[in-house]
Amino acid sequence: MGSLLVVGELAPDGTLTKLSTEVATLARALGASAGASAGSTAGSAAGSTAGSAAGASAGSAAGSAVGGILPAAGADAAAAELARFLPSVVLEAGATADANASQRAAVIAAALDGISHVLLPASPDGRDLAGALSALTGWGVLSNATGTEPSDDGPVVEQSVFGGKLITRSVFSGDHGIITVRPNTVTAEPLAAPGAVTTRQTPPVTSIAQVRVVDHIEAEGAAVSIDDARIIVAGGRGVGGPDGFGLLQDLAMALGGAVGATRAAVDSGWIPYSQQIGQTGKIVKPQLYLAMGISGAIQHKVGMQTAEAIVAVNRDPDAPLADFADIYVVGDLFDVGRALLEQLRTRSG
Amino acid sequence: MRPVTNEDRAPGPYRLTEEHEMLRDAVRVLANERVAPRAAEVDRTGEFPEDLRRLLADHDILALPFPEEHGGLGGELLSICLAVEQLSRACATTGLILAVQELGSLPISIAGTADQQSRWFPRLASGDQLIAFALTEAEAGSDVAAARTTARRDGDHYVIDGAKRFISHGSVADLLVVFAVTGTDDARHRRLSAFVVEVPCDGFSVTRLEHKMGIRGSPTAELAFDGVRVPVGNRLGEEGDGFDIAMRTLDRSRPGIAAQAVGIAQGALEVATQYARDRRQFGQRIGDFQMIGAMLADMDAGTEAARQLLYKACVEIQAGAPDASRWSAMCKLVAGDTAMRVTTDAVQVLGGYGYIDEFPVERMMRDAKITQLYEGTQQIQRLVIARALLGKGG
Amino acid sequence: MRIVILTKPVPDPASGGERLLPDGRLDRANSAAVVNGNDEYVLEKALKLVAAAGEGEVILLSMAPANAPETMRKALAMGATRGVLLTDTALEGSCTWATTRVLAAALKTIDFDLVFAGVDTSDGGAGVVPAGIAALNGLPYLSYAAEIEPDASARTVRVRRISSTGYDVLEAGMPALISGTQALGEPRYPSLKGIMAARAKEITTLSLADLGIDPSTVGSAAATTRLVGSTPPPARAATRVIRETADVAAGEIVAFLADRRLI
Repeated sequence: MGSLLVVGELAPDGTLTKLSTEVATLARALGASAGASAGSTAGSAAGSTAGSAAGASAGSAAGSAVGGILPAAGADAAAAELARFLPSVVLEAGATADANASQRAAVIAAALDGISHVLLPASPDGRDLAGALSALTGWGVLSNATGTEPSDDGPVVEQSVFGGKLITRSVFSGDHGIITVRPNTVTAEPLAAPGAVTTRQTPPVTSIAQVRVVDHIEAEGAAVSIDDARIIVAGGRGVGGPDGFGLLQDLAMALGGAVGATRAAVDSGWIPYSQQIGQTGKIVKPQLYLAMGISGAIQHKVGMQTAEAIVAVNRDPDAPLADFADIYVVGDLFDVGRALLEQLRTRSG
Repeated sequence: MRPVTNEDRAPGPYRLTEEHEMLRDAVRVLANERVAPRAAEVDRTGEFPEDLRRLLADHDILALPFPEEHGGLGGELLSICLAVEQLSRACATTGLILAVQELGSLPISIAGTADQQSRWFPRLASGDQLIAFALTEAEAGSDVAAARTTARRDGDHYVIDGAKRFISHGSVADLLVVFAVTGTDDARHRRLSAFVVEVPCDGFSVTRLEHKMGIRGSPTAELAFDGVRVPVGNRLGEEGDGFDIAMRTLDRSRPGIAAQAVGIAQGALEVATQYARDRRQFGQRIGDFQMIGAMLADMDAGTEAARQLLYKACVEIQAGAPDASRWSAMCKLVAGDTAMRVTTDAVQVLGGYGYIDEFPVERMMRDAKITQLYEGTQQIQRLVIARALLGKGG
Repeated sequence: MRIVILTKPVPDPASGGERLLPDGRLDRANSAAVVNGNDEYVLEKALKLVAAAGEGEVILLSMAPANAPETMRKALAMGATRGVLLTDTALEGSCTWATTRVLAAALKTIDFDLVFAGVDTSDGGAGVVPAGIAALNGLPYLSYAAEIEPDASARTVRVRRISSTGYDVLEAGMPALISGTQALGEPRYPSLKGIMAARAKEITTLSLADLGIDPSTVGSAAATTRLVGSTPPPARAATRVIRETADVAAGEIVAFLADRRLI
């Protein structure tokens, strides 16, 4: 394995996403233990040319070097934040945060000397970038990783497929590859001392098809994102309407989490699509999934079944969720929900 | 009747094609969302659901039995039966709207000229017009050939006198296929001819609407023909062809009734199964008691068996199997008896709740009975099958 | 307005009918397949746009085993004009990189204004192929669309791209490639007329030879990734069912959460 490159990304408010810090932590762990495994490959150690983002030399016996790149001109604070998790970060000013995937991919592709593997967040932006980067480099992609570990064949990537029915482990056939990493795969851990940030300006590739950002719209009362929430309180058909989600909102706040929903609730217009969990919505892996009035049909289950703890409240004793929740309360979600809220509030004083 | 060999068997996989599944699912969605909510009311008021007829027309379901050249969908028998089954699962009366549209138009498909088909099919396919099959009389039920309604030739018209009884859709149809005696001196099975009568017209009246045990939203009428004049061009086939046209029609239409029966059975099975899941007595759900579980198992197996026989019969009949009559009679016999048994058991599973109209199974049981009676009683079906087995006389 | 829909048959997520070959790959030929859920949303949008334009076609493009015509049938029944099926036994076991290249090559044989794809596929799909195709073919790529508004006369298209706090409005010239989400709107149920009409619709097949692609550069032997093992997910602990009053039940939940250090 040669050097690893982590691509950071920004949230709409310009800060570094939490997922970026998790990917950085994962990459460091992968790089460190790669050195520990016997006969780590030298990768492409042949001469770091000027402009290489890798920093330290590749494939040293102490492990693979790990660096970061943030293709977002002017994002100094975010770059500094990423540098808390990586020994070196390049702030690539040749692409703005608004630049489309192909443009950012071109800039990253220009920085791959000595790099064997690129790790990206498995977010919409990350996936777009991974696809474009794969096309530009010919490197394969292993996406939505839920874990990685080193081996003599390079990084072994764990993925969950067929709606969670199978966990697979795959490697790249060659020496290079692109990996996208799911939220909550690891807990982000900063370095003892932050790394260095250098700025670079790669000339933009003008031949790439342009996409213009015309506007950024913030949704009214935008909900806390469920993408990387530690705790999710989700509602389904049983919630009965938008007002019912008020109770779930209170519960989420009391627990420090976010509100999610099934497709039925979204289709009924009770809550925006951004909060939908399931096959055509988001896949989440929180530490706690509190399911209120949700039956747990397969289309929803695939979105939340890897949650560490699942607690469900439902009037139907035979719903599918009863077979795989940790705790299944047969009861009215409002009665139980209000009692739970009261008890949580009393606890926290 | 020559022996049937393997070469005569229609080819086909033991799975519905993707197209059949899509069609079935499309009708099922419609039945669940738009038909099921109306079923109890249709039964209670006994009114023909004109809105549901419109719904079927708007969704091209009534176009299924008709050729594409006349605005139909060119659906084969299996497709029509899939649709009837899904509709009947929600409401037997509604399933019958499609089944009767097919039944009534079959004589025209079988014996009508291209000109006659292009005259009548377009508006039937669009659902703008309904057609009914007027064969049965007060004194001629199973004994079809004993019909007494006459059609006397008068220049370039026939004059029809007589009465028909138990005619489904008789009071709402725009077209009636009427079987009347044209040859009193001829052999028994050559006495009848078939005519398309366009109503309303002079001399025609609906004299009675039956109050029935089930399929109460489907109007079952007694029709009177008092000097009804019908142009010669409205006769189907030649004089004397009537009996044969009727028998060939029933060979193709009986699967439609089998489909209705399978649909009714399935609907009842689902209600009973859900009840057995929900209802708790003695500390557990009643479905977990073996006696209930056994009943449900028999209901499920029986319904599935009737269904598979129906689908197979459709494929065979569509492929022109020489033993079409046997297939037709078998699927109707098995499905009708199954529907009666399954719905009766469904009421039993629900206990007291099965007897009141809070649950639909009592209606389904009342609806199921007719499938053992019309388009040939079960006894007639058995005669047909026995004859196919044993061959004729001697 | 000519719109190509990139569509993929996937194992039916509801039926659990995924079959694996001995080497761990999905046995696509023997797993009952349905149209990928997300593809239906973009297909629906395309049908609406073409209908609004009053003219045009919706063309399905799929790389799949030879039995794929069955899964294209539903899309044709919904109203797509015709289908192009890219099939070749040499394609079995292709990785996303090969899939991207092959689809990009096939796309070059079709005249279009827009290409739509679902954001990802339910069979573990990455959602990376559309981005790759756009990059290879020099098409502007607009992803995660909740709304798509082409302006035929100006030859531009506007897309609302979902962000974690709302959405961005993007604009690009046509032709362009767009990946879309459920937010585009509920797909229509195929009408009976559509189902019967699908019989007569054309599906052309393309092989690697037609595209001038060397078979040794695709398929499992050339794949950039390789499966090394698979396991069922770890079993969850048995469910504890609670049928108590609301207060007691809530207390049990609180105890559980405290025990797991979640509160």
